[in-house]
Amino acid sequence: MSIAPAAERRKPWEERNVVVALILAVLVPGLGHLYQGRVVKGLIYFFGILGLFFWGVKLGEGIVVYNTPEKGLTRKITLHYAAQFGAGLVSYPALLQKQRITKNNNTIRQLDRPLSANFKGSLIDSHSDAEAGKLDGVITLKPESGEYGPETKGIFTGKLDGQPVKLELGGNFFLDRPIAAGFRRTLKIGVTGGIENGRVMVGSIPRSFIDGYGVPPDPDQLQEVTGRLGKQHELALVFTWIAGLLNILAIWDCVQGPAYGFGDEAWQTPDPEDKTNPTIIDPSLPVVSATTPA
Amino acid sequence: MPSSLLVLAQTVNVTWYLLPLAMIISLVYSASRFELPDRILRRATWLFLQIIGFMGIVFGVLWVLSYKM
Repeated sequence: MSIAPAAERRKPWEERNVVVALILAVLVPGLGHLYQGRVVKGLIYFFGILGLFFWGVKLGEGIVVYNTPEKGLTRKITLHYAAQFGAGLVSYPALLQKQRITKNNNTIRQLDRPLSANFKGSLIDSHSDAEAGKLDGVITLKPESGEYGPETKGIFTGKLDGQPVKLELGGNFFLDRPIAAGFRRTLKIGVTGGIENGRVMVGSIPRSFIDGYGVPPDPDQLQEVTGRLGKQHELALVFTWIAGLLNILAIWDCVQGPAYGFGDEAWQTPDPEDKTNPTIIDPSLPVVSATTPA
Repeated sequence: MPSSLLVLAQTVNVTWYLLPLAMIISLVYSASRFELPDRILRRATWLFLQIIGFMGIVFGVLWVLSYKM
């Protein structure tokens, strides 16, 4: 079963450029090993570490990877993010997204271009705030000029509590910022026609991975997601932290080789008669210790 | 069938997530100790059992201490 390498391949981590291997290992878990031809270990690191990292991202609904150092502190990277940083490229967007959210990233009260997306949410009675049913379908919106200025109108086609429904939409429009933490974007709009007239659709449409990944969440958003997901969100964070820390072991292995050796070495009992071995103690010598009188 | 599995997965206690987590930690840690795949797998299996065993003992102790509380 053992696939022992040839004698000349006992140190594969020294066969290729160590600096290149180090950079690759830092950027992508396992990539340095693949570069060195250590395919099995490379795949273990790649799928193990990145799988754990993205599983955490999925469990935390995308609101997991971010860096939000407290204002006034000299430390610019939180311990939370420092652990995730070890996972490599997958954690770096958090540094960039912090800059992106400050530029032209406001909530939208009226659309300036047509929009079509899958919508999931609820139909709410605007008077009693009671939920009238679950909505799942496609929402199509476009800007129109109305009596008092620009308006956002459109149509929802999908299912209300499992029953096919088509709703005309207009008024009370609100759409969350284009760039924010998480992969869902809050949308709210009133219903204008039919028996559902006067009710409001409240739900979310998908946000692109680029605009939702690595973005620091607002305190309110963080409170909402931690309250809703509870322990699952904590576990999601732990997964990403452990993934980042495990990659440090992988980077070390990529540069210095495995800590204990190949794994096929046989332990040899030292010969007690070997005078050249300094670890062998001559039994004829007196035992000297700190308590032995001089 | 897939939707029922999804519902089941959502209702599963988060404690069960520790099993695959322990498995990945065992595998990656063992891979950083040895080079040969079969040695890595043997070591990872043993480490996984140790982790699960330790967590099981802690669970048992806590369960006994909190009995009838």
